[in-house]
Amino acid sequence: MSRIKLFNEKALELIKKEMVRWENEILKDKGGDEDYFTESGIPIKLLYTPVDISELDYLQDIGFSGDEPYVRGVYPNMYRGRLFTVRQLAGFGGPEDCNKRIKFLLDHGATGVNIVFDLPTIRGYNSSDPEAEGNVGQCGVAIDSLEDMEALFDGVPVDEISVSLVTHLPSVSVALLAMYVVMAEKRGIPLEKLAGTTQNDFLMETTIGSAPEILPPRHSFRFQCDVVEYAARNLPRWNSISYNGYNLREAGTNAVQEVAIAIANAIATAEELVRRGLPVDSFARRMSFFWDLCNDFFEEIAKCRASRRVFYKVMKERFKAQNPRSLLMRFHVQTAGITLTKVEPLNNIARSAIQALAAILGGAQSLHVDSFDEAYSAPTEEAALVSLRTQQILQTETNIVNTVDPLAGSYYVEYLTNEMEKRIFEYIEEIERRGGIVAVTESGWLHREISNYAYEQQKAIETGKKKIVGVNYMRSEQQEPEIEVFRYPETEQKQKAKLEALMKKRDNAKVKECLEVVREKLKTQENIMPYVIEAVKVNATLGEIEEVFRQEFGLWQFPLT
Amino acid sequence: MDRKIKVVIAKLGLDIHWRGAVAVSRLLRDEGMEVVYLGNQFPEAIVNAAVQEGADVVGLSTLGGNHLTVGPKVVRLLKEKGLEQILVVMGGVIPPDDIPLLKKAGIAEVFGPETPIKDIADFIRKQVGSRIAS
Repeated sequence: MSRIKLFNEKALELIKKEMVRWENEILKDKGGDEDYFTESGIPIKLLYTPVDISELDYLQDIGFSGDEPYVRGVYPNMYRGRLFTVRQLAGFGGPEDCNKRIKFLLDHGATGVNIVFDLPTIRGYNSSDPEAEGNVGQCGVAIDSLEDMEALFDGVPVDEISVSLVTHLPSVSVALLAMYVVMAEKRGIPLEKLAGTTQNDFLMETTIGSAPEILPPRHSFRFQCDVVEYAARNLPRWNSISYNGYNLREAGTNAVQEVAIAIANAIATAEELVRRGLPVDSFARRMSFFWDLCNDFFEEIAKCRASRRVFYKVMKERFKAQNPRSLLMRFHVQTAGITLTKVEPLNNIARSAIQALAAILGGAQSLHVDSFDEAYSAPTEEAALVSLRTQQILQTETNIVNTVDPLAGSYYVEYLTNEMEKRIFEYIEEIERRGGIVAVTESGWLHREISNYAYEQQKAIETGKKKIVGVNYMRSEQQEPEIEVFRYPETEQKQKAKLEALMKKRDNAKVKECLEVVREKLKTQENIMPYVIEAVKVNATLGEIEEVFRQEFGLWQFPLT
Repeated sequence: MDRKIKVVIAKLGLDIHWRGAVAVSRLLRDEGMEVVYLGNQFPEAIVNAAVQEGADVVGLSTLGGNHLTVGPKVVRLLKEKGLEQILVVMGGVIPPDDIPLLKKAGIAEVFGPETPIKDIADFIRKQVGSRIAS
């Protein structure tokens, strides 16, 4: 297709000529361009003009909202049609404690919830496991069995709200999604009605999570694909995977790497599912993404816009997707925990609000705003409410949701969008040159990339090259502030007691039988989900199911020194 | 001739946030110390590694809320082996009220987010440096 450029040659020539004059006569030596870079290292010029985006073809490169190439947003009327989901994290204690927080958030206007799990659950251990000591119900809710899943959502209308299960590891996604499905079935809710997300990203198991107990990348990747396949066949409204750029970024990547690694994983997933015989249009529309929005305001907005164009091109050109919904990249945003400070914690409200603004200008589908006390503990109710209110203020008082992609056409934002796209594609190519996302995980290359970035960033903070208000710039003289800290309710003993009771009342022979079937099926190429669902129905626990996985596949040494 | 201070750093238990621990490991190396990063480990394995490596310092990192239960266990196990001279320090997200409890349990210092690496290195040198030089 021939390109019709947005600016004509004559105008561009004139601008170039005038710019020379401006530089020599007006700007003179006041520019100092060499010192300015975005967070991912793109040089920032003092001033952008049409010359910087002279190749742009409006209809081909930008277009309209809800239309190819989806740079301006995935829905035609964007937030007028549906506001981004106000989705705050909830998760601590036992399921009964967490159920109260879910209801608190819904009562105050949240329209979806993100359930975070405690570390033993995330890593596939029962609360009674010795390895779980000290972590039960901390930083997330403890879920051991179907009964816990039922208690977690007791009285919560799971057929009306969307529920994100932040399951991290694919192996745990398998078990927890199975529990969620059985919980809904027992309540008589048709599976077609279940809307939500499982995180289910194998990089969470192998790259961002770590030793001592993780499954090898290939097996973790298989489970990831099993969940995607199962959902494509059974759960039409379920986002079977949320490619987790967020945690990559928090662990140590820049914005370009964050998006490129996540899309490289999406490419690998799509290839595997096509190999399994599924048409791309049966699953691509239910792939979702999860971005971390840090402080570089325009780069983050450009990242959101560019990532949509990259995904569109990948799905259209590489996978030949036909259904328009396969071409849309929908994403959730969480503001950046890594940017929050322990000193002067109230400053974090400003940081988070600015990041949330970038998410909306970037066209996010749902948003979690971090709480100001993040460097101290899980959020108190008060801090969680400030986050919720931040979202509501942005939605209702600022008018920014009423027009689509308002920064389109900005010379800088369009330039950055192009530059991000180019660099994202280059990084994806590098990953593929090294054998693809599974191979770069196995070789430890990805871990080194992350570790190097985290190290360089910390060094930049230590030397003062990267400035953080109150920390190494305008250093706070404030004494440690009085801050109310969230205290987790006692959970370990309660969960242990419930587990003990469960083991007594369930049919243990049946549990064993079901787990043996799971074990046998692991040796085949078959999708594991239906067999795990059967095990969950007879009250096999999370830890028991995961133990079968661990026994069959062994553990993998995290290649990081 | 002085030998290098030897530090063993571990993520405590199941906690998955490794960025800080890895960055601190590499920065302490830049400060001239010898650092062994263990990844995630439980107290027994941390103590065994400290013995094997002949560590002067054990650094524990946790952002997962298990600091009060699992942290003091490391100190206790070291003591049982007669290794109370090994300095145990901790870093991560630790509620301020818990810091006195940790110190009482024998954790020499707790470094929260934003602690400059110099402060950590200086503290370690002050505590174990004289022992090594002598």
